[in-house]
Amino acid sequence: MKNQLKVLRAIRNWSQADLGEHLDVSRQAVNAIETGKYDPSLPLAFKISRLFDLPIEQIFDDEYTGEQDV
Amino acid sequence: MFDADENTGSNGLRILWMILCGFGIVLLSGVITGFLSVHMAEGGSALNTTDYAILAAFISLTLALAFAIWRLFRQMKRSDQKVPQREKVYNRFLIGSFLFGGVTGIVLALTGSFDATEASLISNNAMSPMLAIILSISIGIIVPAITFYWHKNVVDEQEEAAYRLGALIAMYAFWFIAPVWWFLWRGGMLPAIDGIALYFITIFVALIVWFWKKYL
Repeated sequence: MKNQLKVLRAIRNWSQADLGEHLDVSRQAVNAIETGKYDPSLPLAFKISRLFDLPIEQIFDDEYTGEQDV
Repeated sequence: MFDADENTGSNGLRILWMILCGFGIVLLSGVITGFLSVHMAEGGSALNTTDYAILAAFISLTLALAFAIWRLFRQMKRSDQKVPQREKVYNRFLIGSFLFGGVTGIVLALTGSFDATEASLISNNAMSPMLAIILSISIGIIVPAITFYWHKNVVDEQEEAAYRLGALIAMYAFWFIAPVWWFLWRGGMLPAIDGIALYFITIFVALIVWFWKKYL
């Protein structure tokens, strides 16, 4: 899933390690989420949302165009 | 963004190379030991120039691999200026486990609990009751307790997902490999099913998938 994580932490001048520290995950996890290789769980997505004070859908993009059924 | 960030992904490859170099050292050590054992079995006379050259080549290769591991480790350290707390615990746990395994192995070897003529732990040869009890307690009680703590407190959800996928694919590998082996044995094309071999195959599959999902 595409996301704005890299941009958001760049604004705060955070490294992946910094973000990992805030989220209590490893740098590999941050890296995997940023590169779209791993989609975070709902609890972690909410944690990210609270950390950046943004709604989940502004951070993560499921590429829904409105043409699909759901 | 940060140099360390760019290196985080490639550390997976570094770790993979370090593991491969480690396997190489183990294999080369086996070759050197085998070479010397054969020499001793043939009378143990003084080594000639060719023998020295062969030994020197293998020892040089071993040292080169050890040097490569050291270089890769240094590169990893340089890329890891800052490490999240959870990862620090993770690394300490890993180092502790390696040290525990290493020290246990050395103690077993020094106390004679593990006879070199038993070929290796990975065989169906008889072993001393004491060694069997020590290994059973380790694998049956200590390792499960450590594993429980590991999953409960150390790994994060991304690694947990890597473990889950590894376990799933390993389970399917077992489900498919075991009957195929059994059929081929019944057809007279393979030896009888070896449970321990199947065990190691499933562990190997799980490890490969885990590594791929966690680091690559």
